Amino acid sequence: MNINKKIYPFTAIVGQEKMKLALILNIINPSLGGVLIRGEKGTAKSTAVRSLADLMPERSQIEGCKFSCDPSNIEQACQQCSEKIKSGKYNIIKSKMRVIDLPVSATEDRVVGTLDIEHAIQKGEKKFEPGLLAEANRNILYVDEVNLLDDHIVDVLLDSAAMGVNTVEREGISYTHPAKFTLVGTMNPEEGDLRPQLLDRFGLVVDVTGENDTLKRIEIIKRRLEFEKDSKAFAKSYEHEQKDLSGKIQKAMRILPNVTLEDSFFETAAKISIALGVDGHRADIAMIKTAMTIAAYNMRETVSKEDLKEAASYVLPHRMRRRPFEGSQIDMDTVESKINEIIN
Amino acid sequence: MKSTVFPFVAVVGQEAIKKSLIWNIVNPCIGGVLISGEKGTAKSTLVRGICSISIGMKLVELPLNITEDRLIGNIDFEHAVKFGEKHFEPGILYKANGNLLYVDEVNLLPDHIVKALLESASSGVNIVEREGISFRHASKFILVGSMNPEEGGLRPQFLDRFGLFVEVKGESDIRKRAEIIRRRIEYEKDPLLFIKKWQRKNEELMIKIESAKKALNKIVIAPNAIQLAASIAKEGNCEGHRAEIVIIETARAIAALDSRIALNISDIKEAAKYALPHRVREQQPQQEQRSRQEQQEQDSTKHQDKPQEQESSNEQNNDRQSDQQNDNADDYPKDGRQEDDPDNMTSGQETSDGEEVAEGGSEKVDDPGEIFTVSKWLSEKSNNSIAKRSGRRSLVKTSSTQGRYVKYRYPIKGEIKDIAIDATLCAAAPYQLYREKNGRAVAIEKSDIRVKLREKRTGNTIMFVVDASGSMGANKRMKAVKGAILSLLNDAYQRRDKVGMIAFREHSAELLLGITRSVELAEKKLAALPTGGRTPLAAGLSMAYDVIKAAKIKDKDILPVIVLVSDGKATYSSSGIDAFEEAMNVADKVAADKIKSIVIDADDSFVKLSLAEKIAEAMKADRFEIRELQAQSIVAAVSMSL
Repeated sequence: MNINKKIYPFTAIVGQEKMKLALILNIINPSLGGVLIRGEKGTAKSTAVRSLADLMPERSQIEGCKFSCDPSNIEQACQQCSEKIKSGKYNIIKSKMRVIDLPVSATEDRVVGTLDIEHAIQKGEKKFEPGLLAEANRNILYVDEVNLLDDHIVDVLLDSAAMGVNTVEREGISYTHPAKFTLVGTMNPEEGDLRPQLLDRFGLVVDVTGENDTLKRIEIIKRRLEFEKDSKAFAKSYEHEQKDLSGKIQKAMRILPNVTLEDSFFETAAKISIALGVDGHRADIAMIKTAMTIAAYNMRETVSKEDLKEAASYVLPHRMRRRPFEGSQIDMDTVESKINEIIN
Repeated sequence: MKSTVFPFVAVVGQEAIKKSLIWNIVNPCIGGVLISGEKGTAKSTLVRGICSISIGMKLVELPLNITEDRLIGNIDFEHAVKFGEKHFEPGILYKANGNLLYVDEVNLLPDHIVKALLESASSGVNIVEREGISFRHASKFILVGSMNPEEGGLRPQFLDRFGLFVEVKGESDIRKRAEIIRRRIEYEKDPLLFIKKWQRKNEELMIKIESAKKALNKIVIAPNAIQLAASIAKEGNCEGHRAEIVIIETARAIAALDSRIALNISDIKEAAKYALPHRVREQQPQQEQRSRQEQQEQDSTKHQDKPQEQESSNEQNNDRQSDQQNDNADDYPKDGRQEDDPDNMTSGQETSDGEEVAEGGSEKVDDPGEIFTVSKWLSEKSNNSIAKRSGRRSLVKTSSTQGRYVKYRYPIKGEIKDIAIDATLCAAAPYQLYREKNGRAVAIEKSDIRVKLREKRTGNTIMFVVDASGSMGANKRMKAVKGAILSLLNDAYQRRDKVGMIAFREHSAELLLGITRSVELAEKKLAALPTGGRTPLAAGLSMAYDVIKAAKIKDKDILPVIVLVSDGKATYSSSGIDAFEEAMNVADKVAADKIKSIVIDADDSFVKLSLAEKIAEAMKADRFEIRELQAQSIVAAVSMSL
């Protein structure tokens, strides 16, 4: 049974353009810092993330490596791979980026990695058994209901998301390995808030609501029923669009390194951040990088003001300093008009 | 696996962090630095940067989820299995010796880790006594901690162990901010090229630091410098004597970097700016206003014969004030703002300046030459952002398998679940030479088994029970009530408590908000609360009781609190007996079940009926008057009793 057939095609999702674009941007540029998708239940949040697998580009990795190390990047390779690369003895294989699930009930040892008990008992030697963070290296780490994660698991995520490295010092084990992953989280804000520290680690945020347009709503139901009736045929009917999008993503990845922007944009970004009262500088940096990625996605090598504006709408909402009682659904109209003011 | 490090000198601004780190490298006797501030301000970047230009010093990091055995060290498992001997396997404290130990998010570490860490930090030795091994080794390191005060504070006794304290914020100058982005993008595009570009400047700094290190011993410390340091520390009412020692050691580093042999007054002043903020203590809150004035009068006479010292300390404090004035007004740490500035929170309420409001008064710290107001402001900071909010409200040692693995212990009554494998293996290891192993390397016996002791962070579950009857709508009472609840909600947000809300009016109670972590939802419901009708007090309390009981069944570790806001004038009864009596019965039930409660008495009428008082008594609850809502103290007091 081909598992792919059960996954709802990304391009078949009706509407939710912002959410889809946020995910696409992160595939094109994994250094954007991931996406936090906030919204009510039943809005295709999880569906969108899981369906990304089919769109992901292929990339090279070293054969047999648990961390999917990049052969062209010795700086960020794991210990074994660094040695392999130096000695020249390794094989390269092609693989697709994957979506790794971090369940809400995950325990620390499964996330971070732990002592290989079997090996210890059989051989009397200490060996590191990698956890989810190891698997997530160079992949997407997906956390559904991220606001319900246990605090100490969040701490662990923060550590790795920050440095791109997982340092394990626990339960008799001392080990370090690369853990550069794109963090994608979904949550329903009614269930609770997310710690500001964790919020800031997400590059982009998207607030989703159910579709209001009746025609679109009908289309959603129709497509879902069709998919459940015969998922194979349904997926096939979108094959063309999926390939198109995949191709577009890969083209954008090639354009991205050549994208340039006017120097004045840096000041504009700084002005916007200050006007909206964001904490720290991550928002500024994310804004510029996202704008560049948007330009690349639109097949352009120069960043436009519109790109910057759009980028702002992705990187700011979760970072604006919460004044008491304004709520996180801050009046986006005022925000927009402020941004417009500054940009023009 | 080495990742590239953003060059120290390429970081824009953040001069305070840079200085504090450089000083510590030059003179490790200073005692490290605690960097506190908002996210995304290059804290970690700078620490990593300084290590890469410090000769002979490595960066050792302490991961948040470290277990005690890896910090202190433990039995070498492999050696024990092979040779049956207990050898010591060193931990992080060993690795850190002679290096810089960096603890990111130090306020999130479990207490026993922080304790072990700080003990070694101050004594310079790590003493290990566990699992039958006895070992000690040198552990002298530069301790650098970073934290975001939004996540919680650090215990005062831990605070004091850090030599210096630096508070950071984002850059507010647009051009500098733009330059920050520019450089970061450039770095990410081609790290090696960027590093090369800044290499020379980096090296220049490295050379400067090295020569300062060598010059350190030649520094002469004049007696009046020591005197000045001591008097500054005394004026700041610092506990113990660490402050003045740190000031002198820091001043030495400053002078050494400036290629001087003698200490200047400005060295002492600058050193004090960094050495004091986390140590300054305030006097008794109630007497503050008065004692402030008294002290001023005293001081002007007392210090008349030492005009220089007074002047310089004043100057130092003035500098501090002007540096920090803007901070005070705008970008104050969030918690500081909330607890200091009642105006912003209680919607539409005016806090009269003349009132004896301890924290509120600190905003008006402008007068030059007022040492005590500055000290007070500094102590506000330490009280508000650190001591008062001593981290997550409660840590519950739980037997469930959720929560962080904190320690191991022997199984109780032979009940074995949640085995601590590492500890068990270490316990079994030394005996392997004497055991039947059947082809395995390790045979485990029952006596070896250790189980995990876990810790869960549990915030409170606060159930607001709000009287929305007609009598509450009168006299802006509801406004005051809403204001108080909103302040408490803010506190709850920061401590990640859970909240729920019940309103009662007319004939029944309504569960406006089921127990949720979303403080925002609570705010929304509160804003939309209508008032009018009779007062079914019993119904309100009853519903709260039921909801809490149900929640306890789901999770027995929760810490529920009922916050009742009412004037106590129960006028509707559902059971036919007197309304107030009905309410008292429920209150008794609440007390019998030992559910913690707080009553905010909204009765501000001239002739008091003391009804809410009686309810509070029956519930064994702390009681606060709504009149006190005007002063900031109520929110603080309520928070304290939570």
